[in-house]
Amino acid sequence: MLLVIISGLALGGLYGMTALVYNVMYSTSKVLSFGTGQFAMVGGICTAWLVLDLHWPLWLGFVACLASGAAFGWLSEVIAVRRIVAASDEHLWVLSTLALSTMVQEAMSIWWGTDPTPFPRVLPQEFAGAFDQKFWLPLVLAVAMAVGLEQFYRRSMTGKLFIAMSEDAFAARARGVSTDRMRSLSYVLAGILGAMSGFAGGQLTFADFALGTALGLSGFIALAVGGIGSSVGALVGGAILGMLTSLTTHYFGAQYQKTIAIGLLILLLVVRPQGLFGTTRVRQV
Amino acid sequence: MKHSLVRPGIVAVFTVFAALLPYITGNLYYLHVATVIGVYWVLIATLNLLVGFTGQLSVGHVGLLAIGAYAFCLLAGGQGWNPFIALLAGGGVCAVIGLLLGLPSLRLPGFYFAMATLAFGLIVSELAQAEQWLTNGSVGMPAPSFPAPFDTPWGFYWLVFGIAAFITWMTANLARFMWGRAMVALRDSTVAASSVAIPIYWTKLIVFVFSGFTAGVAGGLYATSQSYITPDAFIVNLGIYFFVAIVIGGRGVIIGPFIGAAVLAAIPELVGPLAKYGTFFYGFILLVVVLVLPGGFGELINTLVEKLRRTPQSSTHIEPDLEQLRTAIRPRA
Repeated sequence: MLLVIISGLALGGLYGMTALVYNVMYSTSKVLSFGTGQFAMVGGICTAWLVLDLHWPLWLGFVACLASGAAFGWLSEVIAVRRIVAASDEHLWVLSTLALSTMVQEAMSIWWGTDPTPFPRVLPQEFAGAFDQKFWLPLVLAVAMAVGLEQFYRRSMTGKLFIAMSEDAFAARARGVSTDRMRSLSYVLAGILGAMSGFAGGQLTFADFALGTALGLSGFIALAVGGIGSSVGALVGGAILGMLTSLTTHYFGAQYQKTIAIGLLILLLVVRPQGLFGTTRVRQV
Repeated sequence: MKHSLVRPGIVAVFTVFAALLPYITGNLYYLHVATVIGVYWVLIATLNLLVGFTGQLSVGHVGLLAIGAYAFCLLAGGQGWNPFIALLAGGGVCAVIGLLLGLPSLRLPGFYFAMATLAFGLIVSELAQAEQWLTNGSVGMPAPSFPAPFDTPWGFYWLVFGIAAFITWMTANLARFMWGRAMVALRDSTVAASSVAIPIYWTKLIVFVFSGFTAGVAGGLYATSQSYITPDAFIVNLGIYFFVAIVIGGRGVIIGPFIGAAVLAAIPELVGPLAKYGTFFYGFILLVVVLVLPGGFGELINTLVEKLRRTPQSSTHIEPDLEQLRTAIRPRA
């Protein structure tokens, strides 16, 4: 039972981190990218390839993992978001990020193969059951990431500019904020954080090309449950979803995971459309 | 607007060509590809109403296709129903499931709806793997074929062709008249549409249920065309293909998505090496079209036709009646 709870929390940490990544991109561009989960996928596969196949030292693999995330984040802003946001049509960013996400996933499945492969051990720890690093690593990192992001938003100038843009991008632009550069920066940051979550969760999920879509969906559910824009909400939403997934798997079997998850999403959105910790209502005008 | 005979002419020529295709090509494989395109079109035609006209981005119609296919196989194969009744029943099942899916999810804004339908597609393929007592798991199940005149490849092609033509006619009628106007209006501005008394939610729901029904019918036809179905046949990538066909064809055009569907399905089938990169290629095309040509090729062709036809801008030149104006503003003595 302890193992069920711990693995639920670990999954929740992973989902929560994905939700945080959604938040970072949403704050500057109001885009919910379909490719959010792919950052973790690319980061995870990149590390597994460099460390296990090419025998790079782990720290170098980690750096490369973050670099791949940063590059991918920047590219996705340049390719799929910049022009679309300029044209400001709501449907189009859904399509462009879906297209990019599909391309990356397919390219990975062709290059890396469709079977999940093992991920290197991060810390020299003996396998320790419920207290193994593969469970606590994503959980700790998720909390650290949420705290770090909150500090970043509150203390640093760049973070404050992100907040300003999420309140009103036009007003921020009028006050001399280079909104385009900030948006690029937020995507680079999102890519780095996403790749980091893929690194932390790698031992739990393995290096799997299909991770991106699954994580993108689960992270989005965590985000919607917690409320868009809230870091606490992202963590709580992730934890709820992770626990639910883990308990469902334990009691009913793995095949009902997604059914339960989507049931949670729809139920919550009908009852409380702005999510548990969300403040602004989703307006469709 | 002048009624021209060009468009009906093109449609007529194309219809005759499609009807006579089995005589033109003796190659059974090409005929199979054409049949599959027809089957996809049965689904895409009404999905176009939902995506292109109403603007609801449903990624999960492949789930409905799968349910239709399994329902058809279970009813016609297992229970021994008449295949035509089973086909309609499969459509009915999908319409009901579409209703149940649409009731909550159509209230959600764009991206939420897309995610909910994506999740639906994933759930269906998960359950098709897991519920072995019903679907035989990953082993799959054979699909029954249709009775006598339709049991040959040619006969089945004509059956699909007939159904596809009927569906096309129905969607064209829906799109051209009041319903289509309502759909386009609520796609372009929900607030404006509701201010002129268009029932937003009901319009979306009815279009969704209708597209669910034809997705179920397409599922039954798909099962027969493949003659054996497994959960692997209904991966979410197929849903992406439907989507791309509509977007490159042009949103809000009837015939554009047909060309998109035909070209996209034919290229990987006819150019062997591309088959492996099929989904990557679809993603690439989707990205390019969205970035370069957001209206799709349908809009491009429309623009080109307008340019070629060179209809002069009908601006009426009005000579101001200066004398009357002067009288009007002259101060009364």
